[in-house]
Amino acid sequence: MKPLLELQAVSVSFDGFLALNDLNLALAPGELRAVIGPNGAGKTTFLDVITGKVKPTRGDVRFRGQSLLGISEHRIARLGIGRKFQTPRVYQNLTPRRNLELAVKGSHSPFTLLLGRLNAEQRDRVQELLAVVGLEANASRPAGSLSHGQKQWLEIAMLLAQDPDLLLVDEPVAGLSDEETERTGELLRQLAGDHTVLVIEHDMDFIRELDCPVTVLHEGHVLCEGSMDVVQRDPRVIEVYLGVEDEDVSAGVTSAVATSAVASDSGSHQEIP
Amino acid sequence: MTITSNTAATPAAFLRRWWPWIAIIAAALILPFILPPFRLNLLGRFLSLGIVALGIDLIWGYTGLLSLGQGIFFALGGYAIAMYLQLDSLEPGQLPEFFSLYGVKALPLFWQPFNSAWFTLVAIWVIPALVAGLLGYLVFRNRIKGVYFSILTQAALLVFFNFFNGQQKLINGTNGLKTDTASFFGQMVGSDAMQRNLFWITVLLVIAAWYLCRWLTSGRFGDALIAVRDDEPRLRFTGYNPTAFKTVVFTIAGALAGISGALYTVQSGIVSPQFMAVPFSIEMVIWVAVGGRGTLIGAVLGAVLINYAKSLISEQLPETWLFIQGGLFLLVVTALPDGVVGWWRQGGPGRILAMLGSSPATATYPGLDQDPEAQAEKRAIESRAQALESGASQPGGEP
Repeated sequence: MKPLLELQAVSVSFDGFLALNDLNLALAPGELRAVIGPNGAGKTTFLDVITGKVKPTRGDVRFRGQSLLGISEHRIARLGIGRKFQTPRVYQNLTPRRNLELAVKGSHSPFTLLLGRLNAEQRDRVQELLAVVGLEANASRPAGSLSHGQKQWLEIAMLLAQDPDLLLVDEPVAGLSDEETERTGELLRQLAGDHTVLVIEHDMDFIRELDCPVTVLHEGHVLCEGSMDVVQRDPRVIEVYLGVEDEDVSAGVTSAVATSAVASDSGSHQEIP
Repeated sequence: MTITSNTAATPAAFLRRWWPWIAIIAAALILPFILPPFRLNLLGRFLSLGIVALGIDLIWGYTGLLSLGQGIFFALGGYAIAMYLQLDSLEPGQLPEFFSLYGVKALPLFWQPFNSAWFTLVAIWVIPALVAGLLGYLVFRNRIKGVYFSILTQAALLVFFNFFNGQQKLINGTNGLKTDTASFFGQMVGSDAMQRNLFWITVLLVIAAWYLCRWLTSGRFGDALIAVRDDEPRLRFTGYNPTAFKTVVFTIAGALAGISGALYTVQSGIVSPQFMAVPFSIEMVIWVAVGGRGTLIGAVLGAVLINYAKSLISEQLPETWLFIQGGLFLLVVTALPDGVVGWWRQGGPGRILAMLGSSPATATYPGLDQDPEAQAEKRAIESRAQALESGASQPGGEP
């Protein structure tokens, strides 16, 4: 199958520092993919390159076979690439309903916004999304007064309202409760298939829950790719994570490695009968 | 539904809804007959400044573009009407008087269209709009924003100021163009009757401009402007082109400034390059800041009240006004970031009363009254209780 998104030997240099170094990656249509990597691995730059915020120094980014180089951010978004940011970025002074009404799919020219009205389909979609993310009761107060979790969900809803083919989701569960994390995972798994979803996340348990291929970035380069089990046993990955001073991350990996062993055991048990 | 429509029809409800408009219309009709002509003329001038302030509220209060160069568009509108009035009061074949001072024998080409009243009526707002649109597009396309945008607009203002100041042979340079002795429909523009008509035209145009701005800011377009102000990159990644929105809104603000400048010119009796002086454009921003950014009505109130205070105080203590204006600006920046109207809307007067000891009774947990989820729950419980009650009271409703 022809890949939906393809990064070909992409390098990004910030004054000589290589944020991305000869990065190759391909996403098939309908795929759910997780990207992990220690701090400074180039995960956010990687999204910046796809969405047109940063121009690659070398290499090419192709979406449905078309090169994205030199195309401005809003045109790339209109091609069908949506992005959720690391910290929730919603319009604080607008209500969740108005946030969604801005994001909902349709023409975004000033004249349409001024003279046109939302059609029934768009209004229904906004109402539906408010229900999906449980913000109906809060639909009419400024988004700035929402809790952190609610903002995260509102931004996810805005991404869905945009209805992109490719969703780039940067740390969707940072700061969410366990229950919210679980629901987010469910939502992303549901989206995959119709949409192509790329998730960047630090939370190993969450990625395990997503049950999808994992790409590990390190120093702007793909270190390895494969299922979570394969990736976590890769000695290079362990070295990269344990080499990081951040104790939480390394602890997360080692505990995840431990649970992965348990998980694969239980998996093999299930296969026996 | 029927109940609400009934209450809306009662005179009391009608008054409650419409009293500001009734008051404005009454004031506009009565003031010309009770104010001395001098005061009325001042009020008309200050009201016309409210229109340029509305434009600044659009671009600054809503869209976050702090322009220090609105004087350019203001003066362009003023020059357009002044050129028309100069030509209109001439006998055929004559030239405006000042041309003879500089030995100009023929009317410069760009003056010709201003023989037409219709062309002038359009030029008053279209020329400033075009200049604003072009300047805005070039600046916004290159993603110049924040303080760099402000500096650039001020630099543009200086360029225009110096150009107009130096062109004696074209537009009488630093002396400007007088309009008060010009005639219009056979009457002197400076006459009391004409000034009264201009006052009414100004009131109507302020209301029209306010409606326009409210329409622009109330729907999704207004939301997009706020989004440009609060998080422009985010808007870009949603598929919006912020350059288009900023150019459109800057163009509209330019047109409003032009209309404002034309009204101000005919009520002041002169247009001169002083309209493009740097302090004047900064004062415009102060009116909006004091009145309240992003409130629209605050911009008009700020322009009128500050200018009225300026003229009253300057009459008594001429040397103190600049200190008062500076102090006002400091007060707003430090204590009232949303201006007077913003402070009022956020319950400021209630807080002052509370500080003075006569606080109104508040619930123990005011948060509960404001929490929509708590309110939704309350409504659900109440409706359930009501349903139970009505079910129980109905004979035979329950076995």
